[in-house]
Amino acid sequence: MASYSIITALILAIWAYVGIVLQLGPGLWWTEALIAGFVTGAVVGNIPLGLSIGGSLTLLSLGLWTYGGATIPDFQTGAIVGTAIGAIGGGSGAFAAGFAVALPTALLMTQMDVLGRAVTTIFIHGADHYAEEGNQRGLAAMHLLGQLPWGLTRAIPVFLAVWLGAGPIKSLISAAPAWFSNGMTTAGHVLPALGFALLLSMLPLRRFWPYLLVGFVLFAYLKMPLIGVAILAVAIGFIVSTTQARNERSEASV
Amino acid sequence: MSEQLENEAIQTAEVTPENEAGDMGGQNGSDDIVALDRSVVRRAMWRHLITLQWSWNYERMQALGYVYSMLPVINAVYKDKEERIAAMKRHLVFYNTNPQVGSPPIFGATVALEAQRQAETVDSIKVGLMGPLAGIGDTIQAILFRPIVAVFAASLALAGSYFGPLIMFLSGILWTVLMIPLFYFGYRQGIGVAREVSAEGRLTRFTDMVTMMGMVVIGAFIPSIMASVTTPLKYSQTVSNLGQVHTETVALQSTLDSLLPYMIPIAFVALAYWLLRGLKLSAVWVLVILFVVAFVLGAVGIL
Repeated sequence: MASYSIITALILAIWAYVGIVLQLGPGLWWTEALIAGFVTGAVVGNIPLGLSIGGSLTLLSLGLWTYGGATIPDFQTGAIVGTAIGAIGGGSGAFAAGFAVALPTALLMTQMDVLGRAVTTIFIHGADHYAEEGNQRGLAAMHLLGQLPWGLTRAIPVFLAVWLGAGPIKSLISAAPAWFSNGMTTAGHVLPALGFALLLSMLPLRRFWPYLLVGFVLFAYLKMPLIGVAILAVAIGFIVSTTQARNERSEASV
Repeated sequence: MSEQLENEAIQTAEVTPENEAGDMGGQNGSDDIVALDRSVVRRAMWRHLITLQWSWNYERMQALGYVYSMLPVINAVYKDKEERIAAMKRHLVFYNTNPQVGSPPIFGATVALEAQRQAETVDSIKVGLMGPLAGIGDTIQAILFRPIVAVFAASLALAGSYFGPLIMFLSGILWTVLMIPLFYFGYRQGIGVAREVSAEGRLTRFTDMVTMMGMVVIGAFIPSIMASVTTPLKYSQTVSNLGQVHTETVALQSTLDSLLPYMIPIAFVALAYWLLRGLKLSAVWVLVILFVVAFVLGAVGIL
């Protein structure tokens, strides 16, 4: 199979549309790269690839959040397009090829995010107009149509990339030499460092850094499985917290 | 939004509902307090839950979603067209907060207050609480909950397990479902929501506790997730063994491991942290730099 049918492209485009619109309401996390990668993998028949691309993208999004409406790389679209393109032909180079597409896609999509957020401004002015008239139906329409810029800025790129782009892009990447796929795979392994660094930069590291060392020693030297570390972490957090509470209470009573 | 404005909002909010309603009752007659039908409250709740940010935009962010969700309540409370128009315009002002943890209690409280025709309190609650609740909600979701769950799910997924996406999927549902009790909490509390939020002592202790747990887990996750970042390089060294001198090839990785296990992953995290905090680069720039460095090192065979 050298490319995808228009049906596959349409299914993935609709999936992207629904994912982002749900994210704007109930949440549900369908825009998470892991879920997007898994579903795309199921649609194109390569779930392991969807899991590895979705998982890698998730790790570099650890500290990312749309604080106050900030634009962050679109890992949902990245995971969908990357998994779809990587899955063509399959083989051992599938991850390197998919990841090579997923990352630039996620970055370029920030432009589409800004576009979507800007275009919806039209609707709020329309709503002002209808509110002035007391036209509630018009106001509701303005709000509900707001999903279009949001959804289409995801669905259209996904549709075009999967339908038209997948074949040519994949054959271009397949022609790349071995060092390219080595570099890509290494990048995939290293980039979670960004996710961890972002997360650490949000946390009060100056107050809590010793706990970081505890976790590191447990895993690196004592070879404790992660579940064990997590259980111990709960115990440590609870013990320290209750001890602090008790100290504060006894200080207050003195 | 100035701090003064926020304080003012909290102060207004601390007037008890009984007093306020009594005062207004004296001025406006008997039709002030509308007992909202439960179906109206439910319809408003679902509108807010399903569509709040559909029309999110740079100018007034979640404002239009808020008006749309409030429409059933506005129509139940105000029968006069001019009053309805005034109420709609009142809610068409800038509004933005954390949509899942922050907005449901604010929206619930304002639904209750709209029914008591306390327009000014409604506006001050929105302005006063959207900032603090955005901070609290984003911290709980983005810094405490999501990263831990995401690392766990991603490591499962990278090992090929379907539990990875399943965990993410269930976590998403969890926050959606929580929006319902959070809304009704706000609805029942009414003005009291402001008091609950400003009692931050308990919340601080809770976030401290979760931060400690998170730190321990992250300390273990960094080496675990990035364990495959190793170097294949070898070097030869001369060793003398019982007087016999000979050369042997040593893997650089095993030397590094004996100094400090997972040294290369730690170096990359430290580099990224320094770029973010020390050089104050944006996440996208750090992503590009890390990508180029890792790609080149991988392509030439150093990593």
